[in-house]
Amino acid sequence: MSNLEIGIYSFPALLILIFLRVPIGLAMFTTGFVGLWLVQGTADIALARLKSETYTTFSNYSLSIVPMFLLMGHFATLGGMSQALFKAAEGWLGHRKGGVAMAAVGACGGFGAICGSSLATAATMGRVALPELRQYGYAGGFSTATLAAGGTLGILIPPSVVLVIYAILAEQNIAKLFLAAIIPGIMAAIGYMIAISIYVRIYPERAGVRDRVPYAERFRALGAVWPVLLVFVAVVGGIYGGIFTPTEGAAVGALGTGLIAWANGGLNRSTLFESFTVTARSTAMIFFIVLGAAFYNGFLALTQVPQEMSAWVVDQGFSPWTVLIIILCFYLIFGCVMDSLSMILLTVPIFFPVISILDFGLVDLIAMQHEAAREALATVTDLAPEMRAQIEAAIAAGAEITRDMQRALDIRVTSGMANALAEERTAIWFGILVLIVVEVGLITPPVGMNLFIINALDRTTSMLETYKAVLFFVASDLIRVAILVAFPAITLFLLV
Amino acid sequence: MHRLFLTLSRVMAILGGFVLSILILIVCLSIIGRSANSFLHTDVAQSLFPGLAQWLIDAGVGAIRGDFELVEAGMAFSIFAFLPLTQVTVGHATVDIFTSWMPERALRILRALIEVLFAVVLIVIAVQLFSGMQSKIRSGQTTLLLQFPVWWAYAGSVLGAGVAAVVAVYMALARVAEATTGRSIVTDELGAEH
Amino acid sequence: AQEVTLRLHQFLPAQANVPQLVLDVWADNVEEASGGRIEVERYAAMALGGTPPELMDQAIDGIADVVWTVVGYTPGRFPTTEVFELPFMVEDARAASSAYWQMFETHMKDGEFADVHMLGTWVHGPGLFHTDTPVESPADLEGMKIRGGSRLVNQLLELLGAEPVGMPVPAVSEALSKGVINGTTIPWEVTTSLRVSELVDNHTEFEGPALYNLTFVLAMNKDTYEGLPDDLKQVIDDNSGLEFSIFAGGTQADADGPARQIAVDNGNNIITISEEDADEWRAIAEPIYESWIADMDARGIDGQALIDEARALMDAYDG
Ligand code: NA
Ligand code: NA
Repeated sequence: MSNLEIGIYSFPALLILIFLRVPIGLAMFTTGFVGLWLVQGTADIALARLKSETYTTFSNYSLSIVPMFLLMGHFATLGGMSQALFKAAEGWLGHRKGGVAMAAVGACGGFGAICGSSLATAATMGRVALPELRQYGYAGGFSTATLAAGGTLGILIPPSVVLVIYAILAEQNIAKLFLAAIIPGIMAAIGYMIAISIYVRIYPERAGVRDRVPYAERFRALGAVWPVLLVFVAVVGGIYGGIFTPTEGAAVGALGTGLIAWANGGLNRSTLFESFTVTARSTAMIFFIVLGAAFYNGFLALTQVPQEMSAWVVDQGFSPWTVLIIILCFYLIFGCVMDSLSMILLTVPIFFPVISILDFGLVDLIAMQHEAAREALATVTDLAPEMRAQIEAAIAAGAEITRDMQRALDIRVTSGMANALAEERTAIWFGILVLIVVEVGLITPPVGMNLFIINALDRTTSMLETYKAVLFFVASDLIRVAILVAFPAITLFLLV
Repeated sequence: MHRLFLTLSRVMAILGGFVLSILILIVCLSIIGRSANSFLHTDVAQSLFPGLAQWLIDAGVGAIRGDFELVEAGMAFSIFAFLPLTQVTVGHATVDIFTSWMPERALRILRALIEVLFAVVLIVIAVQLFSGMQSKIRSGQTTLLLQFPVWWAYAGSVLGAGVAAVVAVYMALARVAEATTGRSIVTDELGAEH
Repeated sequence: AQEVTLRLHQFLPAQANVPQLVLDVWADNVEEASGGRIEVERYAAMALGGTPPELMDQAIDGIADVVWTVVGYTPGRFPTTEVFELPFMVEDARAASSAYWQMFETHMKDGEFADVHMLGTWVHGPGLFHTDTPVESPADLEGMKIRGGSRLVNQLLELLGAEPVGMPVPAVSEALSKGVINGTTIPWEVTTSLRVSELVDNHTEFEGPALYNLTFVLAMNKDTYEGLPDDLKQVIDDNSGLEFSIFAGGTQADADGPARQIAVDNGNNIITISEEDADEWRAIAEPIYESWIADMDARGIDGQALIDEARALMDAYDG
């Protein structure tokens, strides 16, 4: 068997292990280990890698964000922030038709702004909002589906653990990815609210009514959410503003929410220990998958599968859009049965090299040159009139600004710079799209972690009812993906 | 028996949590020190209280030296310390859908096999990490800024990896016992919390 | 037909200067001289896994067959090489690479590097400052956050009153653009891929001996080398050693010129400290020599003798 064949056969082998209920990290680790053994003809080299690879994987500075964000989310709950968010949203939206459900989505979005994980957002907001939804006469499946979908905002709105992992794998800037996620994240929250209003129009009997809340009380409730705003601005703003690195931002966020929780009386020895154990459990789960993926991807690199695959895609001459849509569909299908982080870790090293060399026309070199030239023309004073006329003519004709003209204007816009920018934009846009489609997987039947978590909180609602109601939210997700694919500028808007 | 290993794992997790908290504090103090240092160097500070500013700078007000290295070393310990709890509470991510149709007995056997594989892997990881630590002791490699021996960081990780391996062996034995006797030993105690 | 596959692993992207101008050339020469019996698979940017400081162990353990790495990534392990990393020690990369290989053969082959088969040892071109505000004298560095590349560079920065910041090379652009650091120490050649000349306006270089240098090795797994048939061993031998080391150091230093030109074209402020003015800097750096010699003494190595030998060998070089 050639190395390439070993690499290709490892895919079905890995899938069989995963479908046999082998923990995903363990399955990737084992496949990678055996694969290395086969490729190298000896287990010694794979064993030698283990002398340092577990340590270097777990000590990765950028990855240290993950436990910090998880701890931050837990502290936020202890500080009463989830409760405060829901109360404020309910005050403003609760009296509308389907309003309590909309408030739950709004609160999930707010909590997502200070929590890096979907599962934690779903579990936290589920505990806060589910009893209220049921109390005001919202149907079981509708309530659970709303919260399961709302929970995905934990990842879709930055900060986000999945984006951190993507950034590390694709070697992209975490701060820029966080920034790019903001508009699609807000679109998600609005999309879910629209799904709710359509749902209650079709099934008016499945949502109850709630009394209007006086404005004074609404403003008081809104005033109580300032810590959330403070933490979000400090963390995401601080990271993007360059005041600190993403890891530092996560540390500031964890300390800040911890102090708020302590000040509110939510943090004592027993809740602190509980925060540690809950964080520990999710962190080790995530890092074991990261380790398995590192081992498996190291093996794949040796078999040259990723290189051959991107070469193959290029040779076929598919349009970039076809390739992108096929990849996104792949994620949606696998998302029905697989968890989001595992999918990212498993596939980004394979798909990203393919996507990053495709040209989606995200950067227009001529337009960049014209913009720089126009700016320079306005300020440069000692320009020969002849040259000025030439440049203005070039701009009017939509022609290239030549090297000579650029030198005269003291600007530099080369095709190399445009290519680098295009590569970065493609990577960020693709990252956000992947983030959304893997998050859809959290709420698509049959296996959707958020569905399970919320459903477990409500013993009276059957899984099937949840499945049925969640399709409205899945539809809203699919529409949003289509919009973001068609208009990359929406995702890239805040970066320009 | 299960209680014992659960308690051991919880203690490790809480220990890891404390180290994580210390790292968070170090990072935050480092940011404060760094900002203070920059401020003391500004013209405002240098003209308003030149003596004090210089004294504070000389006293070492600034970013914590090598905070980066401390985070890396401490984080590795924390993750390894977190591993036993995930192991003993069956917290690893799995895909259950294709096995849900299996009869209970077949499932028990499958679970035992998987847990045995997991134990083997975690033993190999612990043993190899130990051998990695030995080679770092031999080579005398240090970190770049603080120049502490790299093997110190490895030693912390070896401790966590060792406990994880021991817990995994217990889990494998427990699952094998469940498969052969049909008794339930492992209870998913923390499962409801998450 | 192809008999042997060598996996060459290193930490920079494939299109960076050293992979393209040195490592690919080496690999192509080996493949050609072997008549296609050796194939060199090239793994850039840590594609085989691990972190840059692990490269040396990867060569020792056979995870990769050949690695290119910065010796300073593993502080404390190969102390002798640091003689070429001392501040204001090295003037010419070819002379230093030649001296480095000769001293490798006499002092390090059976000592510090006994676990690998060495193919080449070299240094990069002169290291210099790239900063946001002009640095004309040591006093200008007071309080500036500067990224240093090695143990000794960090010591030097501290003595100069700057605050050394440790970060891997690829993180430098980001940190500079955000103002997380005020400057960095790297040779010109590296500024191209990091776009440093677009990010800062000032560069401070030294006439004569350079502010600092880093040492590199191209090392091969011992068993892989020993396992080759004699004629293929000969192919490897023909393409490694003194001549290759000088070629590698020289090529890397030659890449400085075009990179410097970018800064010139950009209208950046290039400050050149004359040899006389450098005296002030050298005086500040002097304690590093003393502490280094003391450190070597503690390890049972005669540091002063190494310095003298390195200087003599560099002076004797007339390539
Ligand atoms: Na979030
Ligand atoms: Na799903």
